[in-house]
Amino acid sequence: MFVCERMAKKLITVQPDTKLSDVSQLMTQHNIRHLPVVNGEGLLVGIVSDRDMRSALPSSLLGKEAYERALERVMTHRAEEIMTINPLTISVYYTIQDTLLMMRQKRVGAFPVIDENGYLKGILSTRDLLSSLANVMGIGEPGTLLCILAREERGQLKKIVDIVTEEKILLGSVLVSRTWDVNKKAVFPYLLTNNVARVKQRLLDADFQLFDPMQWYLDNVSKNPHLLL
Amino acid sequence: MAGDMKKTGFVYDERFLQHVTFSTHPESPGRLRVIVEGLAASGLLQKLIPIEVRRADQRWIEMVHNIRYMMRLEEACIMGMPDIDHQDNSICRDTYDIAFLAVGGVLNAIDAVMTGDIDNAFCAVRPPGHHAEVDRAMGFCYFNNVAIGAKYLKKRWGVQRIGIIDFDVHHGNGTQHIFEQDPTVFYYSIHEHPSFAYPGTGREFETGIGEGLGYTLNSPILPGRGDDEYKKMIMQDLVPAFKKFQPEVILLSAGFDAHVTDLMSGTNLSTEGYDFITEVILNLANKFAGGRVISVLEGGYNYPVLALLVENHIRMMTGVR
Repeated sequence: MFVCERMAKKLITVQPDTKLSDVSQLMTQHNIRHLPVVNGEGLLVGIVSDRDMRSALPSSLLGKEAYERALERVMTHRAEEIMTINPLTISVYYTIQDTLLMMRQKRVGAFPVIDENGYLKGILSTRDLLSSLANVMGIGEPGTLLCILAREERGQLKKIVDIVTEEKILLGSVLVSRTWDVNKKAVFPYLLTNNVARVKQRLLDADFQLFDPMQWYLDNVSKNPHLLL
Repeated sequence: MAGDMKKTGFVYDERFLQHVTFSTHPESPGRLRVIVEGLAASGLLQKLIPIEVRRADQRWIEMVHNIRYMMRLEEACIMGMPDIDHQDNSICRDTYDIAFLAVGGVLNAIDAVMTGDIDNAFCAVRPPGHHAEVDRAMGFCYFNNVAIGAKYLKKRWGVQRIGIIDFDVHHGNGTQHIFEQDPTVFYYSIHEHPSFAYPGTGREFETGIGEGLGYTLNSPILPGRGDDEYKKMIMQDLVPAFKKFQPEVILLSAGFDAHVTDLMSGTNLSTEGYDFITEVILNLANKFAGGRVISVLEGGYNYPVLALLVENHIRMMTGVR
């Protein structure tokens, strides 16, 4: 949930005067799309993205010879000429939630992470966010996902968790999502077990409804015909 | 027609019941009891050729499993631990020895098929195997019976193309991982979609690694789907893949837990749906593998349904409807 545990800490950075040929090589070699630019004191001064790099490159429609000549010239330029100056940053104290909302609003692919003195501590990209989502869902470990439709009233989640706990099953995660049905909620417990028959039977006995993706989809379509489009 | 009757071997040993799991565990000795009782009551059992069960030579198991894992399992059993690696993997003092017998039963069935003494075989063994990884127990499985069988076919019998079909409702992660880099063993699995079902692997984009690329194939089935989807995927994925691969022998990880009545899964395969799967597999085996099929029990947890499905499966293997 915290940026400092999810960010990439092994930093690959460039200096303002790094040649674009080196910038390009670093991106390919490490399979990354963002390079923070730091000055001699280690302070963050900018960021070069693969998109900045691409717009600096000559058109791929040029003939081979013209392209290569132009490319050679481009590659002698420096990082500071194409970098985004004063990029949006996040703090080491931020949460993944902050980052998610900010990334969605600002439409950027990665944030440099800085401490209160402006020193670069890490970088967090959409890929890191995806990994943290997989981590939160617990799907790195073997398990079974239950799809439960519960009435929207107090204590329903407790009942589910109690049944799972009484069966001595560990929970990888529990996601709750709204359904189209106003007075129902979908609960998705991820159980870290193969042994789900008894737990399912007990949920059914407790008047919960188990549903599958087809039911979910058809239910939604019948209430929201635009989904078919 | 009598001429179509196949010699079908049957692997079973009462000692398989000595692998005792905790009292409410779904993978229980009762599973084998209902299978054998059902076969006896229907008269089918008497038509099968009993295959003796031996303790597998450790070197065959070592071809798949890490020796340190084997020692851990042995020690956990001797110490009287309740489980190994996860509480799902319930053990007793005899589990280690019984797991050796299960492997040995499968290897004996393979020998009998390869010498031509029998045409095909069903192995009613416990514990099951397809989740077992090289170095850990998973999903009620300790030694990967089918994977060891495939290695044995290669090493002992020089078979060059082995086809494994896994129709247990759960993906056989162990078997896939053991062979995903091996182009001589084709692993096909059809199972409930990994977003919903244990163990969470077996998506359609898992198709093998390196030299083994193209020799792993997965058909995930969404919960709520049944016969139609199974038939579609079997015809669209399995049949062309095996036509191309032309296996010399087919090993089955036969799980009967995809049935609509089995609460261990969310898929809705019917009894007839299971017959369809068996029929397609036997046709493939007759066409490419000289009919050589060794079917090994994996899951299936609804007792009466399990007994019925196994009986139907074996009856079709004998060629008598």
